[in-house]
Amino acid sequence: MTSAGDLGDFRTSYLGEVEELLAAANAQLLAIDASLRKGESNVRAVRELFRALHTIKGLSAMVGVEPVVAITHRMESALRATDRANGRLPLPAIDVLLRGVRMVEQHVSAYADDGAPPVTPPGLLDALDALEPGAAPTAVTNEVALDLEPAVAKALAAFELDELARGVREGRRAVRVDFAPSSERAAAGLTITTVREQVGGLGEIVKVVPLSVPATATAPGGIAFALLLLTAASDEALARAAGVGVEAVRPLAAARAPAPEAPAVVDLLEPDPHEQDVHRRGAMRVDVGRLDEAMESLAALIVSRARLGRELAALTARGVDVRDLALALQDDSRRIRDLRSSILRIRMVPVAEALERLRLVVRGLRRASGKLVRLDLDAGQVECDKAVADRVFPAVVHLVRNAVDHAIEAPAERRQRGKPEEASVRVACVARSNTQLELTVSDDGRGVDRERVARRASRPVPEGDAALLHLLCLAGLSTRAEASTTSGRGMGMDIVRRIVVEELGGELLLRTERGAGTTFTLRVPLTLAVVEAFAFECAEQRFLVPLATVDEIVEVDPGRVAYGPSPRSAGARGLVGVMERRGSAIPVVDLDAALGFGARRSPALRALVVRRDGDVIAFAVDRMLGQHEVVVRPLTDPLLKVTGVAGAADLGDGRPTLVLDLVALRVRLGLGPAGSRGVR
Amino acid sequence: MAEILVVDDSKVMREMLVACLRRVPGAAFTQAASGLEAIERLSLKHFDLVLLDLNMPDIGGIEVVEFVRAQDKLRALPVVIVTTRGDDGSRARALQAGATRFVTKPFTPEAILAEVTGLLGASGAPR
Repeated sequence: MTSAGDLGDFRTSYLGEVEELLAAANAQLLAIDASLRKGESNVRAVRELFRALHTIKGLSAMVGVEPVVAITHRMESALRATDRANGRLPLPAIDVLLRGVRMVEQHVSAYADDGAPPVTPPGLLDALDALEPGAAPTAVTNEVALDLEPAVAKALAAFELDELARGVREGRRAVRVDFAPSSERAAAGLTITTVREQVGGLGEIVKVVPLSVPATATAPGGIAFALLLLTAASDEALARAAGVGVEAVRPLAAARAPAPEAPAVVDLLEPDPHEQDVHRRGAMRVDVGRLDEAMESLAALIVSRARLGRELAALTARGVDVRDLALALQDDSRRIRDLRSSILRIRMVPVAEALERLRLVVRGLRRASGKLVRLDLDAGQVECDKAVADRVFPAVVHLVRNAVDHAIEAPAERRQRGKPEEASVRVACVARSNTQLELTVSDDGRGVDRERVARRASRPVPEGDAALLHLLCLAGLSTRAEASTTSGRGMGMDIVRRIVVEELGGELLLRTERGAGTTFTLRVPLTLAVVEAFAFECAEQRFLVPLATVDEIVEVDPGRVAYGPSPRSAGARGLVGVMERRGSAIPVVDLDAALGFGARRSPALRALVVRRDGDVIAFAVDRMLGQHEVVVRPLTDPLLKVTGVAGAADLGDGRPTLVLDLVALRVRLGLGPAGSRGVR
Repeated sequence: MAEILVVDDSKVMREMLVACLRRVPGAAFTQAASGLEAIERLSLKHFDLVLLDLNMPDIGGIEVVEFVRAQDKLRALPVVIVTTRGDDGSRARALQAGATRFVTKPFTPEAILAEVTGLLGASGAPR
């Protein structure tokens, strides 16, 4: 089909555009759903949905993703019929269409990963084929008279006339702005595209109609565009936005209610100059692979910079005057840091965008469970690395599913307990610092039942939320006797923990109160690629540990550390002891021994304090070597993969230095948080 | 020189079309991302051929064809509709509105190349 190979290069752009179109399709489905619930039809959203699916179909046909063509084709047919029936879909149809979109997503991601395509359930295709438009809503009697010349009126669809009339009834003005394109205007940046964008910022454009302008005695003929919109902005503001004289703005109908035309409103509606600027410069889609390439080059630069640093140190040791060189290198370091933050900024995606998809998840859950749930999203302007967003999102979905399925009570039960029938699930996100993101998933449901969790796990009832969380995260634990359709047996907290703690090196916290609700807190790094790390020495070897995982570095007084006996050989010293830290005893692990280098010859003088799930533990090391910016390379070879080792980094000497994951290490040593096996 | 206007709201589709037609001798391409932009460009500059998508926001391909055919100086402009299979209804309406030819997605580069070179040759000596 694409035999000539000319089209082979479009894979990346195909995936990028289809991803956008699928997001648009989801958004339109939600809009249609919202309209239907209000008893209204939404022809515009139906058309936009159709358009998104149609484009996906065409593009997929070009790159040869046939199953997507088959699904979107059926969805399109259903929507075409709907459009004819005034945009009225029966509510159950939304679910079938959502399933269709999900299936398309699965096919596209299989194509992206070169994986085996999923099997489209024949039931889905049949359900799509069987979709029929709902009854058309009773036609709205259009009692609003619109002043439209025949050429314009002819170009408007019934729903567009309805939209205009509805807007007028709601108190907005229906206005027509005429714009005549010319080469001079285009040269000045005034085109129908920019004018549409600017005017659109001041109101809701219902339609743009192209018109032929007959030649007159004074002016040659040509074309013009009539922008028909609903707005609260003044004629002057509209004329300014369109770059035309105020005589080009004409009312189609006055607003019914007194129109808010105070200057203050107009000011508010003026586009923010900064935003305008962003619009003009535009955005572009970049293949993540290319960003990774840039990151690779940067990584090489960081490594060579570290090497230069070592050479410089060697020169200094030989007594060479290196002041100028040192200054130049300092400058160089600063630039590398700047470059690094620029590249990282490019990789940043708004968290709010990723979270939007939760609305669909909750919508589905609401229907499946019959519970009344409101989803509040609050991510503000927070951004994080795309790689982090992609990984953490499934964990958030999981927590939201669990909340609706297990934590939220049925409406009757809520009423009985004096709670509002509609439950609330809130997902919020804040940047805790320049390096860490904090996501919270809270509900006002029944809280986690400690006794039940303990019974299920055959463990004593945990004290404190940290211990409870640990129990919940044991693989395969469920507090549900029966599987629910949406989140199975409530399994999967172990998966959430794996994603947050092990994959992302973050932290998972729980706060729950019986009868009042539960909050999960996920703290994850904003980016993955480059991290600040402490270098230290242990058993004459160098290691690194990410700064973000270390609570503090403390001095160790060897005389005050008490090691217990070894569990293996009688008489030998064990690797876990107890030391004092600010008045309380904390466990301290002898890292030399823990890493299998045998007992240390000289007593450790420093310890890295790591805190996880509210628990504190110290790792004794030989000496600290300073702080570095490093690029962590994961060890992907399963033979090399060792619990407790997060990856390797090059400190500039060409030798790989292992980056330790002290949290995982502590689990391996049986030093997990409260309630886990072994030593406490 | 053959000035070709490629109209599609999908950037990928526009780029695919341009890639397929690179071998048209002396071709110069202009892209438009909407029907409105297409009409504007056609009113400001001479084009020898238009490739037109049917499904676009604001005004679709059929409205563009209708508008183009109502303009004296654009009456003879060859308009190739690039459509997706299964669009029979839209095809009929586009034809009625005055579309010159159809190319159906998925198309091969050879097929569209042949269609376009044929039309450019037939519409008289390109400028």
